[in-house]
Amino acid sequence: MTLPVVEVLSSDGSPPPESDEPTKRSIAGRSPLRIAFDRLKRDPVAVTCFVIVLLFVLIAIFAGPLCALFGVSPEPVLASTRIDLVTGLPKIGPPNHGFDPNHPFGVAPATGVDNLAVWIYGARTSLYLATVATLLSTIIGVGLGLLAGFLGGKVDTVISFVTDLFLTFPFILGALAVAPILADRFGTNIELWQQLTFYSLIAILVFFGWMGMARLIRGEVLSLREREFVKAARVMGVPTHRILLREILPNLVAPIVVSISLGLPAFVAAEAGLSYLGIGVVGRESWGQTIDAATKYWETYPLYLWQPVIGITVLVVALNLLGDAIRDALDPKTRR
Amino acid sequence: MNRKKGVGILAAAALFALAACGGGGGSNKEEGSGGFTEDARQGVDKDPTAQGPAPEVEGAKSGGEINVLAPDPDAGPNDLDPASQWSVTGNAIVQSLLFRSLTQFRQDPDTGDFVLVPDLATDLGTPNDDFTEWKFTIKDGIKWENGDPVTAEDVAYGMKRSFDSENFPTGPGSAYSNPYFKGGAKYKGPYSSGENFPAITVDGSTLTLKMSTPFPEMDYYGTFPAMGPVPVKGDTAPPDYGLHPLATGPYKVDKYVPNKSLTLVKNDQWDPATDPARHQYVDQYNFTFDADPSVSDKTVLSTAGEGDTTIVTSMLAQSYTKAQQDGLSDHTLVGPQPCTGLSYPVYDKIKELEVRQALAFAYPYEDAWSAAGELAGVTLANGVTDPSLGFGVLPPGMAGRQVFNPTIEGQTIHYDPETAKKLLAKAGYEPGEYEVSWAYDASTPEGKAAAEQTKLAYEKAGFKATAYPYTGGSLYDIWTDPDNPIHKKINIMGVAWCQDWPSAATFLPVMFGKGSPYNTGGFDEPSVDKRMDEIKTLPLDEQADAWGDLEQEIMTKYYPVINRGYYQTIFGFGSKIGGFDNDTTVGGAPTYRTLFVK
Repeated sequence: MTLPVVEVLSSDGSPPPESDEPTKRSIAGRSPLRIAFDRLKRDPVAVTCFVIVLLFVLIAIFAGPLCALFGVSPEPVLASTRIDLVTGLPKIGPPNHGFDPNHPFGVAPATGVDNLAVWIYGARTSLYLATVATLLSTIIGVGLGLLAGFLGGKVDTVISFVTDLFLTFPFILGALAVAPILADRFGTNIELWQQLTFYSLIAILVFFGWMGMARLIRGEVLSLREREFVKAARVMGVPTHRILLREILPNLVAPIVVSISLGLPAFVAAEAGLSYLGIGVVGRESWGQTIDAATKYWETYPLYLWQPVIGITVLVVALNLLGDAIRDALDPKTRR
Repeated sequence: MNRKKGVGILAAAALFALAACGGGGGSNKEEGSGGFTEDARQGVDKDPTAQGPAPEVEGAKSGGEINVLAPDPDAGPNDLDPASQWSVTGNAIVQSLLFRSLTQFRQDPDTGDFVLVPDLATDLGTPNDDFTEWKFTIKDGIKWENGDPVTAEDVAYGMKRSFDSENFPTGPGSAYSNPYFKGGAKYKGPYSSGENFPAITVDGSTLTLKMSTPFPEMDYYGTFPAMGPVPVKGDTAPPDYGLHPLATGPYKVDKYVPNKSLTLVKNDQWDPATDPARHQYVDQYNFTFDADPSVSDKTVLSTAGEGDTTIVTSMLAQSYTKAQQDGLSDHTLVGPQPCTGLSYPVYDKIKELEVRQALAFAYPYEDAWSAAGELAGVTLANGVTDPSLGFGVLPPGMAGRQVFNPTIEGQTIHYDPETAKKLLAKAGYEPGEYEVSWAYDASTPEGKAAAEQTKLAYEKAGFKATAYPYTGGSLYDIWTDPDNPIHKKINIMGVAWCQDWPSAATFLPVMFGKGSPYNTGGFDEPSVDKRMDEIKTLPLDEQADAWGDLEQEIMTKYYPVINRGYYQTIFGFGSKIGGFDNDTTVGGAPTYRTLFVK
């Protein structure tokens, strides 16, 4: 790792005498977040991962124009136009024919749907779902953690109990139970059902995803509320909500950012896993569903399985490494 | 017979076909070619004089073990009670290896045809003139696995148990025992109604069966394990006997875990001299149910280790393609199943003949099959892949079957949006005006993909199409339940049916009879019902052709169902397996009677 220039200078203890004043000023003028951001900028792993994640985000946001650019569409076509009916494998592109510019990733076996289009829209589903789920579970977790930690007493007891209770629910079982209930209840209204499966998946992920954050925040608040500036605010009669939002919350930015950056990849993987189990989204392209369909073709058409697997792996690894880098950058004890 | 047990969910999802029945009987052997052919009347042959022992299989050797893998979703029989066997997998195993019944099928080694021969009975039974009374004489010298003799009383007792649809809800009794036997509608088996049942009487070693309506096919029904013995002495309550049944066939149960595994070993009390069809070449059979499909396929296609002596009862299409590429096609056999998948427009919702015909031109046969993971012409076929198969209801190989391949609007049936539009216009509908809706299995990617293809094709053909996803289990939950909310919304149902024996009497009344639970579209024409009742009373040799004519008439005049393909299953077997063929008499399973290890 490269050493930050500023620190090299100061640790050397031999700065040019003329630069004494400006150095002091620049150090004095930087907030902890600013320092962390500067550290991140100089971390090649973090920068690479950030670029990768940004790329996926752009793909997700501009899925429509991107597909138009490549001239592909995730809409179904009559299978016989692209599939050799005797083998079930594509007549064009991989695995048995050369590269086809009309379908850069080839077409799916059996159905003939374009792989690239499905992959791009799958990225959108994954990222959208993971982002919404992370945001919601963060809001719930932070809110409950703040209240429990700051108010203490009965409120703390109740919230901690609920948190522990939720931690005992098996997440997969919850998802398995909800999916058929929704299908049974709303199966006659297709449009509504498709929307519902998507949002119920988010709901399930949030429902079982906020506890870690709540516990983390509660612990941090417990130590913060005994600090002088909080006590001073209390003595001055500042209302509780103001103390929470103005005094305590800003001091929690670091753990929250770290928690979010590590939560995102977990949700991406969870969505793929649930879709693979057949209880994920309905009526939308999803990497998990492609993996489910593609495992049977591993022997005859491996590329079909590689595409979603590489997509998920790259995205999840990039998000995780980025999260690690953010945590390192924010931790004042880390010295490189 | 329960189709679910014989065929994968892939096929099921594709053809709206999950469960349903079909049974023993019929025959059709096309080794090598693996094609569907129209060899009418195969398996209609009977040989009442056949004697044991069974003719030797060429090159057969004794010894060795055979592993049979039934891949997921085939969970095998829930129990081994003879009265509850009505599935392809279950019947194939217990009829061929475990239990003997009144009659059975034997494969002719030269022609490959299946012939009806006696089993426990000395002949194929003696009916009276109008088929309302049958007499069967039970052979002497048949023993249970514990050495006790099998008596006519035991056979009568076993048959009486088949009337108990409460204890044996999956059995064939409710379809054949209760409706055909005199007083069968009220008799509920020996456990609740007592052993006194005048329709089945024993005199010495002769059984006399009395029918309420003419039942000319009692000799075929005699192949079912439910028409075989259960010991009167020491019979335990039904769930118990199903776990520890007493064998009469060449093998007995060594270890049985329901829906998981079954181990069969030689039964030394079985006497080959009394059995005209079964053999006892193999020392031991190890069945595994609900096996992982791709692992099973790999095991069989690998030349090393246990794969040599392993059979997989249903191979994935992808594995089949791979086997063809790798030159392992001699390890696979494509076997016809006497089953038809049908799409069934609701008769009182889609009233116009032209619209039903338009649906036949609007269904994307090969596209939907491909999306469902099926191989056109291999695992599914009909007139689209081979004009000689046609689009009828009766699957190839059935007695009296005629090819139904009509020309409508100058076109033979195939996916043709233009002809569909023409027919819709003839019925007075603009493109996009007529709405069709159906349910599909949304729990698998194949089910979803097939529904997408169908929707696309219907829309191109001028229909407004809505597909209702269903993830709650079998689509029969929807099709057979009028109170189901999706049932009320959709106007195209479906059904997949297999013959119970090669007679249209096991097919047409079930599909088109008023009130039949598998008449999912609610077809209701009094003239057809009347004609079906008439045919059952015709002389035996005229019945087959009469059924064939009736099928043509129904399809031409009403076009009530759309053929979505006849089924074939892909078997995989190791290089040391001998005597292997497709047993169509039970709906497409390995011919366990003749298997040996090379």
